[in-house]
Amino acid sequence: MKSLDTNESAVDLFESRLIRGGTRLIADLTEFFRDYRVDDTTFTIYAKGATRNKGFLLSRFLAWTVLPNYSVSLFCVDEGSTLLTTEKIRKNVDTVTRITKEEDLKWAWLVFFSGRDLPPSIVSFISRYDKKELGLAAASTSSRQVVLSNNQVGRSIGKQLKLGKTIGSNRTWKN
Amino acid sequence: MEKLTKTQVSILASYSMPLVLLSAFAINALLVSFHISTGTLRLVLLAGSFPIGFVLGRLIYTRRYHVEIQFDNSTFRVIKGSKEVVTGFWRSYRMVSLVLDQFGKPNLRLYKTKGGEHVDLPISRTNAEPQRFRDYAQSLVAGQRPREANPQVAEVA
Repeated sequence: MKSLDTNESAVDLFESRLIRGGTRLIADLTEFFRDYRVDDTTFTIYAKGATRNKGFLLSRFLAWTVLPNYSVSLFCVDEGSTLLTTEKIRKNVDTVTRITKEEDLKWAWLVFFSGRDLPPSIVSFISRYDKKELGLAAASTSSRQVVLSNNQVGRSIGKQLKLGKTIGSNRTWKN
Repeated sequence: MEKLTKTQVSILASYSMPLVLLSAFAINALLVSFHISTGTLRLVLLAGSFPIGFVLGRLIYTRRYHVEIQFDNSTFRVIKGSKEVVTGFWRSYRMVSLVLDQFGKPNLRLYKTKGGEHVDLPISRTNAEPQRFRDYAQSLVAGQRPREANPQVAEVA
């Protein structure tokens, strides 16, 4: 009764990286939900955490004395083969912004996976998004294109969460 | 019922090594009393402290710490050592998540209500593949048909 499925989807792989501590340098995500429903929006991945990581002995002591303990979250939407539109992105951004306020999050990441090429309107929308409390990213699993928002949190999706590596891309469109 | 379990070698070693040392002292004391203080025979007999210590350690580990999760499509049980610590019906829960413990190992958390009462299944102490087992549990708590995916991970040689 032993088997191992090697055909992991990009979202599974992304989550797997996060579970193994992919965000450790900037935040410690500690709880992961799948197909998390908020009103009429379903997030493929919803992860909760804080900026103060646990570590061991010295790093734990440093975290407790130096790092602020802000709550942060990661939301991920898998559009599959459905066309990703700016309307969908706006709707998800609104939902995440509301959750950010309700749960008093310092910041949140919102990542979109699409099985189709990213239309220029999406690239333009995301790359020009610059609100500091929400980092946006979209990744196409077909063209291996990654777009990040023009803010610190958005850029960290490429650097820390390594979204490009997850979909096998070394190309990142950013301002 | 399916079973998820794994011998935790580091824990087993931590239980066994003091017993290996103690049995080595005991064997040495016996050898001294029988005036066997040199030679290969002494080394061979002292080496016997390893199997003795590990067998005793294994007994203690099995009775106190070994974790086994038994489940089917309607119920689950968590057995730690010789005690059943958690039992329940999947359908009594509404949400499932993976929670990382203080060592960064993922365990399964079942919520009765959103953000409310919950129980944790220590799947990191078994051979379960966390994401796959979470998906399997989620399909059961959501009242859907269980997926075909096997939640056990392959053993890598």
